[in-house]
Amino acid sequence: MIAIFGKEFRSYFTSATGYIFMGFFLLISGIFFSIINLYSQSPVYNDVLSSITFIFLFVVPMITMRLISEETKQKTDQLLLTTPLKVWEIVYGKYLAALGLFLITLLITVLYPIILSFFGNLAVGEIIGGYIGFFLLGAAFISVGIFISSLTDSQVVAAVATVVVLIVFWIMDTIVQALPKDRISSIIFAGILVLALATYIFFNMRNIYISICVLVVGILIMVAIYIFKVSLYDGFMIKIFEWFSLLKRYQSFKMGIFDVSSVVYFITFSYGFIFLTIQSIEKRRWS
Amino acid sequence: MIQVINLSKKYGNFNAVNNINFTVEKGEILGFLGPNGAGKSTTMNIITGYISATEGTVKVDGFDILEQPQEVKKRIGYLPEIPPLYVDMTVEEYLQFVCKIKKVKASDRKEMLNNIMNAVKINDVKSRLIKNLSKGYKQRVGLAQAMIGDPEVLILDEPTVGLDPKQIIEIRNVIKGLGKKHTIILSSHILSEVSAVCDKVLIINKGEVVAIDTPENLSKKLSQSNRILLRVKGPKKEVLNIIKNIEDISKAQFQGIKEEGTVDILAEGKEEKDIRENIFYALSKKNYPILMMKSIDLTLEEIFLQVTNGQKEDIL
Repeated sequence: MIAIFGKEFRSYFTSATGYIFMGFFLLISGIFFSIINLYSQSPVYNDVLSSITFIFLFVVPMITMRLISEETKQKTDQLLLTTPLKVWEIVYGKYLAALGLFLITLLITVLYPIILSFFGNLAVGEIIGGYIGFFLLGAAFISVGIFISSLTDSQVVAAVATVVVLIVFWIMDTIVQALPKDRISSIIFAGILVLALATYIFFNMRNIYISICVLVVGILIMVAIYIFKVSLYDGFMIKIFEWFSLLKRYQSFKMGIFDVSSVVYFITFSYGFIFLTIQSIEKRRWS
Repeated sequence: MIQVINLSKKYGNFNAVNNINFTVEKGEILGFLGPNGAGKSTTMNIITGYISATEGTVKVDGFDILEQPQEVKKRIGYLPEIPPLYVDMTVEEYLQFVCKIKKVKASDRKEMLNNIMNAVKINDVKSRLIKNLSKGYKQRVGLAQAMIGDPEVLILDEPTVGLDPKQIIEIRNVIKGLGKKHTIILSSHILSEVSAVCDKVLIINKGEVVAIDTPENLSKKLSQSNRILLRVKGPKKEVLNIIKNIEDISKAQFQGIKEEGTVDILAEGKEEKDIRENIFYALSKKNYPILMMKSIDLTLEEIFLQVTNGQKEDIL
């Protein structure tokens, strides 16, 4: 894993990617810092962090798009997968390399609050909380990027798809507001989810019996919920979509609240996408 | 050393590899022959654990690729069809990286790399970026990569493709040298290469093994009848008739006219009978001089065409 990490991390700096990422990130954050804190003479540094979250839309695809797609395209995955390396070592090595680059860049921006501290007392705890939230948010987006990179062998497709998916995360709150809240649509939605799961299992395992079993069990659970606790369906669809609203979770960090459940949420989210990445690489070998 | 048992690989409804069985003994060099799309690379990819089989299994040194992939992968060095190179690295950086992922001890690395770079002659390009190397050098770096970690088994998918004739001979000698200590499977389009390097040849076509034997045995087995190419001065019809009527000749075929006033004829004798004397006497009795008489053995090239096409008549 360390070898993969080292290779990926170095390749950020042997190509232009790492420099462009850092330069762009520092430029934008510097501009926002100057405008929000320096020019308007405001001591609230977390406003800077929360205003620059939109950078993720541009910089995350930049550092994740080639992580796995390039290996597939250049066939270098044949080297990695035929050595005693395990797939999770490869994926984690790559993920941590992207995360490391992001972390280093973020640490440079710590200069800004230090500059601010010359002019008065800062709410240090609040800023640390804000940074942790910002880092976790970035880590979650990077995990989405690396997953998308594992689905295609084209960097461009990976980059575009990542931007599109990140935008969907961005407007999730707006989407949620437009969703119907009534029971029937939630039941239909649950039905679609069960059907999708069964279809996914069928295409992965090519086993009609297992997928029918999943379908039947899913429908039974739905019926059971309908009979015994129908209120669970109220707003079910909204709850599911809300779960994916990363930015909403980030808001609490911005206020300086260190919310353990949000930390767990972000880590689970990232882990989930890393897991999916590993699965997608494993699956490719079986198809 | 390597056992391939009932191996099948299906892509949808397409059988890329269909129920293949073979074994390779320790220290043997097995040549893998077959036309494009015959399933050579697929089989190699399965043996190395890059893709998985639909059915059947592969055992290397007694370890099953599905049950103990780590153990199998430790024992295999693989050079795929396209050498898996990171073009932004220098040769040395790349080989160092491969050492790390193959978990070669740090203390052994320097010596191992030196030996390997000498063997495949890439010492003078070791500090150059891989993307600036010629195809021949890239291929050698790929071969070097496979040799790292001193695996007992080497699987080489068309190792000499893209090399110039001098390099081909060099690489062949490297492979022959490696064959003394390693078990090697190598695939190739070039048949002379296989007969020069390999102890055993496996011919594969449309995902199935059509022949497996030593190169010599294969050519013996397939040229069951003794065949002779003749050039006789005389009219076509008559000469052909004379030859057809000679005892022990099973077939005579007109092959065209290469010189004016002569005919070329392919005569085939029955099994182990020597037909040369009979032909001489028969023709000399009628005063038709024999200008050329040449016995024809099948080369590996012809055997290859024969077994992959399933027909024998079109050869020559």
